[in-house]
Amino acid sequence: MKTCDPVTLEIIRGAIRAAQAEMEALLERTAISAFIREKKDFYTALFDAEGVMAVGSNVPIFGDICGPVFAHFPIETIQPGDLYWYNDCYGSNGAVSHSNDQVFLAPVFHEGRRCAFVMGWAHFSDIGGLRPGSISPDATDIFQEGIIIPPTKLIDRGVTNAATLEIFYRNSRYPATCRGDTRALMASVDLGVRRMQEIAVRFSPDVLADALRQLLLRTETLVRQKLRETFPVGTHRFTDAIDSDGHGTGPLHIRFALTRTSDDRFIFDASETDDQAPGPVNYLMNRDVPGTAFALYFLGGDPSQVVNAGGARAFDEIILREGSLLRPRFPAPLGMRGMTMMRVLATLNGLINVAGTPAPAAHAAYVILLIRGTADGKPFLLSDGLGVGYGARPDADGIDSVYFVAQENYPVEFLELGYPVVLNAYAVHRDSGGPGSYRGGCGVVREYTILAEQSVLAVRIDSVVNPPWGAAGGLSGGVARAVVNPGRPDERVLPPLSDGNILRRGDVLRIETGGGGGRGHPFDRDPQDVLRDVLEGYVSIEAAQTQYGVVLREQRVDDAATDQLRRERPAASAFHRKGALDALV
Amino acid sequence: MLSSDRALTVAIDIGGTFTDVTLRNAVTGQAWTAKTPSVPSDPSQAFVAGMRLALAQAGAGADEIGQVLHGTTVATNLILEGKGAVTALITTAGFRHVLDIGRQDIPRRANLYAWRKPRRPVPASRIFEVTERILPGGHVLTPLDEASVAEAAEACRALGVAAVAVCLLHSFANPAHERRVAEMLRAALPGVAVTASIDVLPVVREYERSLATILNASVMPAVATYVGRLADRLVAEGVTSPLLLMQSNGGVAGTATIRRAPAVTALSGPAAGVVGARAVAQAAGIADIITVDIGGTSADICLIAGGRIGLTQSGRVGEWPLPLPMVDMVTVGAGGGSIARISDGALSVGPASAGAEPGPACYGRGGAFTTVTDAHVVLGHLPPSLLGGAMQLDPLAAEAAIRREVAEPLGLDLHAAARGILAIADSNMVGAVRVVSVERGHDPRAFTLVPFGGAGPLHGVALAEMLGIGQVLIPPAPGVLCAQGLLAADLKAEFNRTLPAAGVPDAAAANALVAALQAEARDWFAQEQVPPAAQRLEAVALMRYEGQGGELAVPWTGTAEAAVAAFADAHQALYGFTMAAPVELVTLRVEATGLMPAPAADLVPPAPPPEPVAVRAVHFAGGTRSTPVLARASLGAGTRLDGPVIVTQLDATTLVPPGWSAEMLESGSLLLRNQKQGLLF
Repeated sequence: MKTCDPVTLEIIRGAIRAAQAEMEALLERTAISAFIREKKDFYTALFDAEGVMAVGSNVPIFGDICGPVFAHFPIETIQPGDLYWYNDCYGSNGAVSHSNDQVFLAPVFHEGRRCAFVMGWAHFSDIGGLRPGSISPDATDIFQEGIIIPPTKLIDRGVTNAATLEIFYRNSRYPATCRGDTRALMASVDLGVRRMQEIAVRFSPDVLADALRQLLLRTETLVRQKLRETFPVGTHRFTDAIDSDGHGTGPLHIRFALTRTSDDRFIFDASETDDQAPGPVNYLMNRDVPGTAFALYFLGGDPSQVVNAGGARAFDEIILREGSLLRPRFPAPLGMRGMTMMRVLATLNGLINVAGTPAPAAHAAYVILLIRGTADGKPFLLSDGLGVGYGARPDADGIDSVYFVAQENYPVEFLELGYPVVLNAYAVHRDSGGPGSYRGGCGVVREYTILAEQSVLAVRIDSVVNPPWGAAGGLSGGVARAVVNPGRPDERVLPPLSDGNILRRGDVLRIETGGGGGRGHPFDRDPQDVLRDVLEGYVSIEAAQTQYGVVLREQRVDDAATDQLRRERPAASAFHRKGALDALV
Repeated sequence: MLSSDRALTVAIDIGGTFTDVTLRNAVTGQAWTAKTPSVPSDPSQAFVAGMRLALAQAGAGADEIGQVLHGTTVATNLILEGKGAVTALITTAGFRHVLDIGRQDIPRRANLYAWRKPRRPVPASRIFEVTERILPGGHVLTPLDEASVAEAAEACRALGVAAVAVCLLHSFANPAHERRVAEMLRAALPGVAVTASIDVLPVVREYERSLATILNASVMPAVATYVGRLADRLVAEGVTSPLLLMQSNGGVAGTATIRRAPAVTALSGPAAGVVGARAVAQAAGIADIITVDIGGTSADICLIAGGRIGLTQSGRVGEWPLPLPMVDMVTVGAGGGSIARISDGALSVGPASAGAEPGPACYGRGGAFTTVTDAHVVLGHLPPSLLGGAMQLDPLAAEAAIRREVAEPLGLDLHAAARGILAIADSNMVGAVRVVSVERGHDPRAFTLVPFGGAGPLHGVALAEMLGIGQVLIPPAPGVLCAQGLLAADLKAEFNRTLPAAGVPDAAAANALVAALQAEARDWFAQEQVPPAAQRLEAVALMRYEGQGGELAVPWTGTAEAAVAAFADAHQALYGFTMAAPVELVTLRVEATGLMPAPAADLVPPAPPPEPVAVRAVHFAGGTRSTPVLARASLGAGTRLDGPVIVTQLDATTLVPPGWSAEMLESGSLLLRNQKQGLLF
């Protein structure tokens, strides 16, 4: 078998990245739902001939995508021109973790030989279920979260099973959107298949296979090496928590233990995590997720490396407990798993911190809200995603006001053109970043006046009771809230994770999102940086003084008063959440 | 416009080191060129000095000049280097953080643990809110509170800003508030450049529009000063003809247009090159080309089908989206200075570049980086000296760098390592070629590749082979194609109107709107003094399936049926499918072109068979070959050469490998052809 030399490897990697970019561009330009084309909730990936992910996306939430298909359709029966489809969370062991996400998977053949698989993945805005948008904090089982598609052969050697699609569309409240998005996703995967065929022709299937093998090995080797550098022999523990499931249960703890044995085996144990919840915050975590997330962290900003299944292979054992928040039993609801997933990532940061390597403080979980109603006789569904603050890093402030990788906001003008709302404000949430020598990122404020006669709001906010922790002397991030008619006699603060909130014409909905934790003692922050934060609206004058010990007068730092104040230096702690903590266990 | 008593056209291209001037008699085709050192502190000095030199060569007077064409990178450099004027932004109350938040994303290819949000060109401390609110469709929700504008003006004055951008929500639907704010600011802040978003980019999406307005405002003072000085100097020289400047859209426009919206010149340099490449190809009778402009740090790639240069409104300049009409090209970080390095076992080339100082290892200036240029030196592609002997290369330094940085870590021999570096750089460029061709529904194999820029002709054949392209056209002077582009450019402007609400096209309403846009275009023709015979107007409809986010441009011929059919064809060609969904009309556009007289051709005479100036060992993948080196100037029309051969000239080196032939065309271009059959990918 021919092998791939280092030069060809880089060329193939570049060609696959280009194919991914092309698939993404096609989807973005042709999809119908704002969720895909404007918010850009979609991903692509490329797998080797055996279905192992060789080039993924920079989002560590993907697990073993192909395995669930092979369980129903043995790999040797897969034919050129086939297309497979599913959104079945339990049927895929969490490769998909809420039903809105549709996976389309196609094989790539060259001269009768299977060389690769191509995946297109996108969040469909409504696939039926309890409420418009399909995800609702009210859900108590997965059947309320839309139609479930088990691994299905949608196209058999070029012949589409049209009836399956029609059943799917009929189950959506917005069938035309669903139809358009399906068409776009299919075209995108088709394009990816053609591109991969060209790559196979250009370099030969043997060389391509060896290239994908090397990409996997490279990531696995790198992650193993970094794991050894990061974690001394022994067991390292960290615990974080989500506030609530929206149905009265909470806080719910995520407890991780990472063990490195004396013979350098790496064991990841999440079994002490709390039991699953009645509400839809359960996160059916695929076993590949921890390794993939560590890989993303260790690869850092190096553009020549790729996130793939090699990261997951770096772990020798993953222990999950059936019936826990991260391994719920069918048919527990999963729709709001995003907040748990974000907390899982923060818990991994915590593990690295407790092992002695400076890592980011905790981030807030991005906020989502759904407003559904009728305007001018037509039903509407506004699914808005709001940015938050990310945790301060060992060498930089946390990222301010971002949602997550790849996903964008709805511009104000776009939103107002398409939905019955007027925005009064869209701004940085001042003082929400956790104070520190490196400041946690700030969240956002988004305020809507509702124009529809009546609508129903679902909101998902976490980290109100347990704000994102600060590290190494940094303080925890600020908390989020959703409030209707602030400052008016009929003001009401909404439960952070709730559905069925009625909004009437003229109501003002204000969402303030949370910030990331700080890192390092806030009194060590350069007063000029504090001044800049004040002038730019990230930190208030009062917080500059009380949190950072910086006194400002007429837009300047009062050096003498600052020195005076900073002499009374509060004690620092390893972690901080509302108060000083030595450990989060 | 031109007449026989003022038949001279002068084109002036100001580069970082030299200012190139070309003077051409539009009637006879005769041309003179001059080169003079650039004066970065006042580029207009070199402008005039070069013009005088060229006029002296031609024995002509300034009064014989009928047209002055100029490409300026003043705006480009200010934006890329972040050195524009200190600028403030005026925004609608409640939206002070419009830039800070942006699109709220961590970019798709970024790593969330490592990514840092770039600092915005205007910090929130220089963004001021005014009380007003306009809704979609232009309805006024909150009237403009002029007291809040006065406060904002006062804040701008206190900060001493030199420029102010005004971008209010939904101003493209109702510009009244924006106009009034701009008017008040101009009155309150004499000497400060004020830009309203509707004068730059009247389209939806506030973040992108705010950025475009800011970039425009920040370059306005410098560009206005520069253009003003140029105009004064031209008058002092006795030149009375109009000054026309190159825009990012590949057309030229007069000074009034440029002063109002200087950001339209942000990509004028690359655009001029593309227009020049098209002119060179047309002179060789070729209409379908893919241009590859390879410089020191990056390559710009553009596709021209049927002689038409495509435009895009989703371009970028540096880190920032700049959705102004610009030549649709893709830039990749691959050039002569791109650095080859190994990290965690992976070999990569670029996007980091060694720049000009210290530059590639072979420059012998102590550069420790291994670059693409070093690989060319090691393989024998480049002569030991460049720029006619003005610059010596150090092959041993190149060799040592490649051995140390690439060959030894990967266990490759020297030449294999050098070829590997080039293959990766070429592959990056091929990726970009695919974006402009395959991704846009074109088969690259049906096109001729036109490589230019200093390093272009070294890579042309390798790129063509990877793409399955059989023909490569090397322009007469590949290193200075911008001046050529200036001489070949037409006057161009676009007039856009987004419909109040997207919907199934109403032909009567659309035709009325097109008529209004055409009237605007005619006013512009009058301002630019374009004679009726040279005026061209084209109406374009931007359409999409109901619910889609992006539009496709199709000709608007007056009926909805024709536009919908054209849209379906375009969607099928581009994306591979159509849908039964309704088709919406979103925006109408009128593209106005003022045709400039085509310059007469400058033909190359035949010459005796050329004698090699040297013979060199060149290391090809198939083995080392003794390769003749020929001077480009010694080639006459009709000369045919078989590879391997190297053709050198002052500004570029052309590599013709085995299996390829070269033919000198009468137009002065060198046409390379693949002689191998059946090997195409």
